Amino acid sequence: MAVTERPSQLTEQSNPIVSRLRAVVLSKEGILFLIMIAAMLILSLLTDKFLTTNNLLNQLRLVTEIGLMALPMTFIIITGGIDLSVGSIFGLSAIVMGFLWQDSGWPLELAIIMCMVVGTTAGFMNGLFIVRVGVPPLIMTLATLALYRGMALGVSEARSARGFPDWFFDLGQRQFLGIPSQLWILLIAAIIAGIVLARTPFGRGIYAMGNNELGARFSGIPVRLYKLAIYTFSGFMAGLAGYIFTSRISTTRADMGTGLELDVIAAVVLGGTSINGGSGSIVGTMIGLILIQLLKNGLLLGGIKGDATIVIIGAILILAILINNLVQRRTGGD
Amino acid sequence: MGAILELENISKQFPGVKALDDVRFDMAAGEVHALLGENGAGKSTLIKIISGVYKQDGGTIRLDGETVSFNTPREAQQRGIATIYQELSLYPELTVAENIFMGHAPRRKLGPIEVLDWGAANRRAQEILASLNIHDLDVTRKIGTLTVGNRQRVEIAKALSLNARILIMDEPTAALTEADVERLFNIVRLLRERGVGIIYISHRLHEVFELADRVTVLRDGQYVGTKPVSETSEDDLVSMMVGRTIDNLFPKLETEVGKPVLEIRSLWRKPLTRGVSFQLRAGEIVGLAGLVGSGRSEVAQVIFGINPAESGEILIDGKPVTIKHPGQAMNHGIAYVPEDRGTQGLVRQMRIRENVSLSVLKAIRSGLFINRKQERSLATSMIKQLNIRAYSTEQVVNKLSGGNQQKVVVSKWLASKPRILIMDEPTRGIDVGAKAEIHRLMSELAREGLAVLMISSELPEILGMSDRILVMRGGQVVAEFSRQEATQERIAAAMMSETAGNGAAKSETMMIGESETA
Repeated sequence: MAVTERPSQLTEQSNPIVSRLRAVVLSKEGILFLIMIAAMLILSLLTDKFLTTNNLLNQLRLVTEIGLMALPMTFIIITGGIDLSVGSIFGLSAIVMGFLWQDSGWPLELAIIMCMVVGTTAGFMNGLFIVRVGVPPLIMTLATLALYRGMALGVSEARSARGFPDWFFDLGQRQFLGIPSQLWILLIAAIIAGIVLARTPFGRGIYAMGNNELGARFSGIPVRLYKLAIYTFSGFMAGLAGYIFTSRISTTRADMGTGLELDVIAAVVLGGTSINGGSGSIVGTMIGLILIQLLKNGLLLGGIKGDATIVIIGAILILAILINNLVQRRTGGD
Repeated sequence: MGAILELENISKQFPGVKALDDVRFDMAAGEVHALLGENGAGKSTLIKIISGVYKQDGGTIRLDGETVSFNTPREAQQRGIATIYQELSLYPELTVAENIFMGHAPRRKLGPIEVLDWGAANRRAQEILASLNIHDLDVTRKIGTLTVGNRQRVEIAKALSLNARILIMDEPTAALTEADVERLFNIVRLLRERGVGIIYISHRLHEVFELADRVTVLRDGQYVGTKPVSETSEDDLVSMMVGRTIDNLFPKLETEVGKPVLEIRSLWRKPLTRGVSFQLRAGEIVGLAGLVGSGRSEVAQVIFGINPAESGEILIDGKPVTIKHPGQAMNHGIAYVPEDRGTQGLVRQMRIRENVSLSVLKAIRSGLFINRKQERSLATSMIKQLNIRAYSTEQVVNKLSGGNQQKVVVSKWLASKPRILIMDEPTRGIDVGAKAEIHRLMSELAREGLAVLMISSELPEILGMSDRILVMRGGQVVAEFSRQEATQERIAAAMMSETAGNGAAKSETMMIGESETA
């Protein structure tokens, strides 16, 4: 996408196709992709249970929720912001859905819609305070991380909602055209988000804001509107993810998704999005997301003990970032 | 005089551009050697090579006759070469003494361990400052609380604390008040007497004549010549710099002044826009003069919707309009080239293409998407039209020289095809050549029927370019002159009037006498 197309300055005179290819391979996303392939090969040597279509598809099913939230998070981090409240919105939306149906007797279809309405509203409130009152995103979403979680706990009174009708599990537990149903949603959402970010005026505005917000404003980019949009979008996606998650695990509790925001941010940042804003891509985020999950799963299947797994994953993440920084510096990328 | 520093056949290649080509330079102890050239001529590259930031691709550097090669700025520093950059590189949260001795503070033994001796550092800092005839600076104050002039003195003291024998000063007077400039000159003369060699870069030619012994001119990365200052003149230097004679820095064309396009009526936005009214007509360049803090930029930003008006009317073609944000102003055909190109005018980390199209993203869509082809050809045509020196539309703006960056800002706003163009300090900090080009462009645009409002602190520019001149003071328009009646004295008097006696006014008086090379 936009960011990967950076023409390598060192190969200006060579064959355009070769230099284009070189640019793609040496881009942050390209390097990360190679690291992912290498990791997959090594993991497949540890155990023959890892590299099977079934296992891989199942792993993707497990990361769909994180992936959906990582899409708006990519936009937000590119603008130099952050949304720490997604895990709490995720939990709040799902618990509201569960109890509207179980306690208040709402039709489940309506409760599902409310799940997303609650998420969207929660995200909108984040955006509104960030834009109108000027609260830094880190502070605002740290506050709502606690606030929304507290509301979820209040609604549930430590109970869980369960016993959903069978059709409710279609999305989370079944397949559509041979692929886990929810994966279709992630796939379509990722493609749309990727194109919006790379090709539209809105996406360009997001990058401009992340590099120089004042400069973007002086160029007529509606900075506040765009910010409001991405935080609202983030809330909506957290709501959607909450619904999918509930459908996958059949039940909902108020502490659902605690700490999930860190997994989301990890995928985005590993995917090459600068935490300082200004650069990043959806492709990168998706590779980051998949890389982390495959490492977790492959090491587990390979019989490596739980504690060691976390250490290895941490080390590989740092290594991946180091390799990428080195390559980007060598090739003159910024 | 024996040369302490000699550079021969220096060349440096950056991707797509030859920054330096066979350049030489030499300096003697106790010499002030001015380095001149337009923005992009290679001055910055040359001093970065001397100070070890870049490594030359070819050529030799000799220090006291011995060939040297610096891999890092630190190595150059250890050999006595210190640089004072345009953007000062001090730590605002640390004290004067801490900044001076950053990295090489005196130490003392505390039992078995060595600790930094801040008492000694304070004393030595005091001594160094005293040796520069600076007695009014408290070494325990935080840098952040000092004026720009004082910070610069600290930079110089820092260089001396490293026993610098060669001091490179990159546009040291750009941000100084008149009094500070005078003090700086005295310090430079003092250092010269002590045998320090000084490489002095400035766009202000009169400073070169006041201070320098010799001058070397670069153009487009090439060595043009070195002359003793006593054997040259301003005209001579300008023609060496631009490679042609600039016969007219203010190419004002006669224009047909048409109907009023923009009219504002008692516009208020406290604190610095207090009931401002004026008209702007098609084909007219209106100069807006005033001291810093008189409300010139503020009015412009009210009109452009950055800080929308609290009350008052804005009329476009005689019809009242609402402008609450820049997008609305742009829809009405208003463009604003802001004062600070680094923070307001550009997104410097992005490419030329992306900056130029930033104001017209919605207009160059096909369907929902940005039309890349159209975007690229827009940038290409702007590079051609404004003569922007860049190797491609894909160059990151940060890598361009100041004058070329300013042209990118201007092209962004020309791309929006405005009818009303507000230019805030359009030629600040750019070289004569680029300056003349921007003036010519402004004049041509006015002749094509644009209404131009030009804010400037340089009275020669105001006088040279404007059809009509408005003067602001304290958030109000206090005087208006036609091109015929305007003189420097009348404008300056209106700017300051009897009530002005503060520091800001004083610093600004400097700009009045300054006409660069006009």
